Amino acid sequence: MNAGSPRGSDPVANAVARLLSAGTVASVSLVGLGVLLLAAVGLVPTRDRGPALEPSVILADVIALRPAGLLWVGLLFTLALPTARVTVALLGFSRSGDRRAAAVAAGVLCVLLMAFGVALVTR
Amino acid sequence: MPLTLLLIAGGVGTGVFGALLGLGGGILIVPLLTLGFGLPFRDAVAVSLLAVITTSSASAAIYLARGAANLRLGMTLELLTALGALFGGLLAFALDERLLAGLFAILLAYVAVSMARRREGRPPGSAVPSGEPPIDGPRPGGYVATLGGAGYVVRRLPLGLALSAFAGVQSALLGVGGGIVKVPAMHLVMGVPLRVATATSNMTIGVTASASAMLYLARGAVDPYVAGPVVLGVFIGATIASRLSHRVPLPLVRWLFVGVLTLVAFQMMARALQVSISR
Repeated sequence: MNAGSPRGSDPVANAVARLLSAGTVASVSLVGLGVLLLAAVGLVPTRDRGPALEPSVILADVIALRPAGLLWVGLLFTLALPTARVTVALLGFSRSGDRRAAAVAAGVLCVLLMAFGVALVTR
Repeated sequence: MPLTLLLIAGGVGTGVFGALLGLGGGILIVPLLTLGFGLPFRDAVAVSLLAVITTSSASAAIYLARGAANLRLGMTLELLTALGALFGGLLAFALDERLLAGLFAILLAYVAVSMARRREGRPPGSAVPSGEPPIDGPRPGGYVATLGGAGYVVRRLPLGLALSAFAGVQSALLGVGGGIVKVPAMHLVMGVPLRVATATSNMTIGVTASASAMLYLARGAVDPYVAGPVVLGVFIGATIASRLSHRVPLPLVRWLFVGVLTLVAFQMMARALQVSISR
């Protein structure tokens, strides 16, 4: 059913694998572009401290091709991938009628959302 | 530019080492950034957690597509690892950085000793061969029975969950993936074959690291100018290693790694004790 099963036989695992594959390529590409811009404008890591995360200016930074914008988008993409993976698994288990696995996935998602909430409250 | 390249190169090196030896990059990223680039310990942990997520996502995609990772078992363990990581992430900001450095030095020494005693095909910390699971006994029923895979059943789930919670705390405190605890826990305690345990651990460390990375991010510990090059480098290194692994003499790499870990453990302990070591 799962581990050790032939390639492609678990549709939930396959959906999660596709998401992770595409998500990793997207996040690393964005980070890579940000690093190129970082080098192009002559900023020096550890000497020049990058700006803290400010969601309201990220879009403007990306449009203006400022390195921090692309770096933050890529890093946030990276950070969000595991949560997206759990969400896709939850939907897949629910659709296939695997209620116990869906309940576990919902539990993991709750813990991740709790971590997000605690992060916002204690920042 | 040279510093950006140095960070990328450092990421590549840690990515190659980590992927070749199945330990993830975190075990070397934190010392690299603290001892090599002078970053505060918590900032280094934050960057390391992001790198851990990247390598976990990339490798999990492959392991899941091949049917090597056990998604249901991994998600069950993630319930407790993520909770542990949340607790560890909060604890990390309450503890003195020197204490964290001391804990990291102990972890490095433990991994170095485990690697030195390890035979090919055994996980770090493992004391048994990597073939069949070492546990025997009555077959479990209920939900646990659905967690097994081809040729094995999952046993001692409560103990496995407890060890997973510990792995989560350790990951959040020290910026490592936690595979050093999870792989032996799954293989030796729960009776999961080593290959499945390694693949499943690689998949779960992304969620573990993500839970605590949110806390570090919210507290301003992530410097994007450092995190970007390191994440990029680790991804490149891990990708190279996955293609080179069958050509590289692993015993040589392992002993080199043991030497590096031992040296770094001493330097990290010296930092914890605030002792100056001349280079």
